[in-house]
Amino acid sequence: MSYMIKVKNLEKSFGRLKVLKNVDLNVRESEVVVIIGASGSGKSTLLRCINFLEHPQVGTVEINGQLVDKNNEQEINKMRTQVGMVFQHFNLFPHKTVLENVMEGPTQVKGINKFEAKKLAQYYLEKVNLIDKKNAYPSMLSGGQKQRVAIARALAMEPSVMLFDEPTSALDPELVGEVLCVMKELAKEGMTMVIVTHEMGFAREVADRVIFMDDGLIVEEGIPEHIFDNPQNARSQEFLSAII
Amino acid sequence: MDFIDVVIKYTPFFLPAAWMTLKITLLGIAFGLLIGLGTALMRISNNILLANVSRLYIFVIRGTPLLLQLFFFFYVLRQSLGLEAFSAAYLALAIHNGAYIAEIFRGAIQSIDRGQMEAARSIGMTYSRAMRRIILPQAFKRSIPPLGNQFIIALKDSSLASAITISEVLLQAQRLAAANYKMLEMLTIAAMFYLFYTSIFTWLVSWIERRLDVDSDKQRGLV
Repeated sequence: MSYMIKVKNLEKSFGRLKVLKNVDLNVRESEVVVIIGASGSGKSTLLRCINFLEHPQVGTVEINGQLVDKNNEQEINKMRTQVGMVFQHFNLFPHKTVLENVMEGPTQVKGINKFEAKKLAQYYLEKVNLIDKKNAYPSMLSGGQKQRVAIARALAMEPSVMLFDEPTSALDPELVGEVLCVMKELAKEGMTMVIVTHEMGFAREVADRVIFMDDGLIVEEGIPEHIFDNPQNARSQEFLSAII
Repeated sequence: MDFIDVVIKYTPFFLPAAWMTLKITLLGIAFGLLIGLGTALMRISNNILLANVSRLYIFVIRGTPLLLQLFFFFYVLRQSLGLEAFSAAYLALAIHNGAYIAEIFRGAIQSIDRGQMEAARSIGMTYSRAMRRIILPQAFKRSIPPLGNQFIIALKDSSLASAITISEVLLQAQRLAAANYKMLEMLTIAAMFYLFYTSIFTWLVSWIERRLDVDSDKQRGLV
């Protein structure tokens, strides 16, 4: 069986602090994997190691069957075009309009001409329901709108995988829904997704598999019903009873 | 003849000198910006050699007086490189200001949220493209107020070029006063020219700042 993401033996330390201790993670095509766990458990670091925003000291990452050499910048850049990433704090480019934000990747990285890139960007802005904001600057948008633009920006690269790093943690509660709604839609269309989140209701509804991390290790994984209703590991029991 | 008449009469005699002041200042700033940008990028690069070269340059230039640097260019480098006094003046100004401008740029670049670089890299941009397209435009905007400040300092510092025979505004004032004994009037005229230039610089800087202001609170009517 071939995997869309194949992470093997991952180890990452910041100084003397070991954040990931020998983590393996395989994600099938069209699978939605949600990673949960307490803060500091290594879940964001794991996500950021997949596209080498953090360089692991040990371990390998394969995307779509392609082993990525972590010392080869060119290879990493090529891999990143296939792996979309959405950040907790959106990280939109404030000096560019919404449309320009979404066009930036296609024109600058893929070399698509402006006309085609604009069509592409408009398509994805429509998808996240923000076409009417295309000429606005990020500072004029709400958090939920910003995050939807960020999703469109990542999608415009037409990636085979999307990584979400706590995409709703910085949002006001009433804006969380609109972002989750877009993500659900993506999942339904068969996008391969790895999501770090604290939205347990969303995880239960959308995830094919939930992974619970603790202290740099995957301590339990399984279908949502299994993890949420009948956790086996003591740490996951403790964590889940504290938040649900 | 009273004060005003003297001032009016002698102002035209300052025009070539005023032009000289403007020329060495603008050339000094223009090359200073290039040197500053290069130095700032070297300073933040992962290449230890480049970073240290840039550190050393900033250390030496900020740690010694501009007058000394002007003398160095005029008395030492002028002969070995065959420079004119004029080139010695603006090059010294450029290298002097480059060190300060480098620190202005570095501060501005480092003040841009890390997430910007991460977002740019995450869509597959190379470091240099992300720098050029995403980081530098934002950093440049943030560095405009301190750059404006630095330009005004550079303008006034250009008066030190009088010490290496450049006929700029202050030297002209001294020369005329030596002949007509009207030091107060000559210094007043010189001051007027400097104030005229600084007003233009200040206006220009705030105009650029307004032009680049696409996402500020003011723009959104919050202030």
